[in-house]
Amino acid sequence: MRLVAEGLSRSFGRRKIFGPLSFEVPAGAVLGVAGSNGSGKTTLLKTLSGLIRPSGGCAKIFFDGEEVGAGHEPRDVPWCIGWVAPDLALYGELTAEENLVFFQSVHGLPASPGRARALLEGVGLSEHSHSKKSLSSLSTGQRQRVKLAYATLHDPAVLFLDEPSSNLDADGVEVVARVVAAQRGRGIAIIASNDPRDLGLADETLSL
Amino acid sequence: MNARPPAPLLGAALAVFRKDLLAEWRTRIAVNALFLFAFAVLVLVGYAVGPTRLAPEDRPTVNAVLLWIVIFFSAMTGLSRVFVKEEEAGTASALRLAAPPPAILLGKYLVNILLLSAVTAFIVPLFLVLMSFEIKCPSLFIALLVLGCLGLAGASTFTAALVSKASAKGALFAVLSIPLLLPPLIAAVSGTQVAAREEDFKAGADFVRVLIAYDGVVTTAAFALFDAVWRE
Repeated sequence: MRLVAEGLSRSFGRRKIFGPLSFEVPAGAVLGVAGSNGSGKTTLLKTLSGLIRPSGGCAKIFFDGEEVGAGHEPRDVPWCIGWVAPDLALYGELTAEENLVFFQSVHGLPASPGRARALLEGVGLSEHSHSKKSLSSLSTGQRQRVKLAYATLHDPAVLFLDEPSSNLDADGVEVVARVVAAQRGRGIAIIASNDPRDLGLADETLSL
Repeated sequence: MNARPPAPLLGAALAVFRKDLLAEWRTRIAVNALFLFAFAVLVLVGYAVGPTRLAPEDRPTVNAVLLWIVIFFSAMTGLSRVFVKEEEAGTASALRLAAPPPAILLGKYLVNILLLSAVTAFIVPLFLVLMSFEIKCPSLFIALLVLGCLGLAGASTFTAALVSKASAKGALFAVLSIPLLLPPLIAAVSGTQVAAREEDFKAGADFVRVLIAYDGVVTTAAFALFDAVWRE
């Protein structure tokens, strides 16, 4: 599989945010996106993931065996996409485990508390944190770890990570590295960040 | 290929329904707003109007209007939260990337039907007792209540999705909902008057048909348009 952007751009009114950009990310690769605050890193990730429409060009995901020129717009294959971002929130009234079981169900996966617990333990959360406390009572760093588990619970082909290490301690940064390493075996990861620890995980970096 | 098909509609819709109910059970924000509003208005109407201040010939008309006003404004008070809270809490993006749009609409619609049904089941017996409102055709009255609530819940749910990204959500919700909800309200009020005066179901069957047609149109339009509303 691969992700291809062709002449991708986004503007809000007359204000150009980024682009036009053209690039290709092959399977197993990790692309870093760097740039100063307000340079459009988050908007680029939202456009690539299909959360917002591009003003020009397109982004397509190609799976094995598909013809050149075919491919899927990300918004049409949302189950192939994992997403972590600072402005993403999960349900504060539910526990971390309940959140993951809910997202398993809406993704069409079997609702498995056991698998949810395993994912949460994989990102370094203790049983007390993920099954007894509501998400809103966890620390910002713990919630960031839950977001990483949420983004990977359906084995996405493309994983978008916007500032993945923000609010994380040293162990948490290790978790991000493990998540990115695992993603190489599943497909593609795209990391938008200014943190050298995040960008150090990428094979190539695109500067905005 | 990693492009597995999207989740089955009904399973995903039930997951959204269960999640919203669980979240509502733990916060009780919409339930408190709906029930407190309904109770306060019932007490005010019972105190200010009461059964004895109305001439017997005016009771069916006035009571039918008052009953549906209470149900309508209760719906306005709490039903917009299903979508508004997703945008306000920042959970909408997570839901957008995970669940098929029709499943989200169906799940939220079921939540609003349940909430409005619970409030209606609370309001109606109290209203009938407080206002000594006698219904001569209970089957017609129940049909009007069920179909009226389905219509109110359907239109409110879709309108809530429309306004959820706007800055002036409250005002916009009322402005968009009122013209959309007037036709079923007029049919429900007129039908309730007939149910209070006539024993024969057939006397009010036209109003039942209007409500069935309205519910069908609103539900179909909501499912046809929701994908564009939710993803754009």
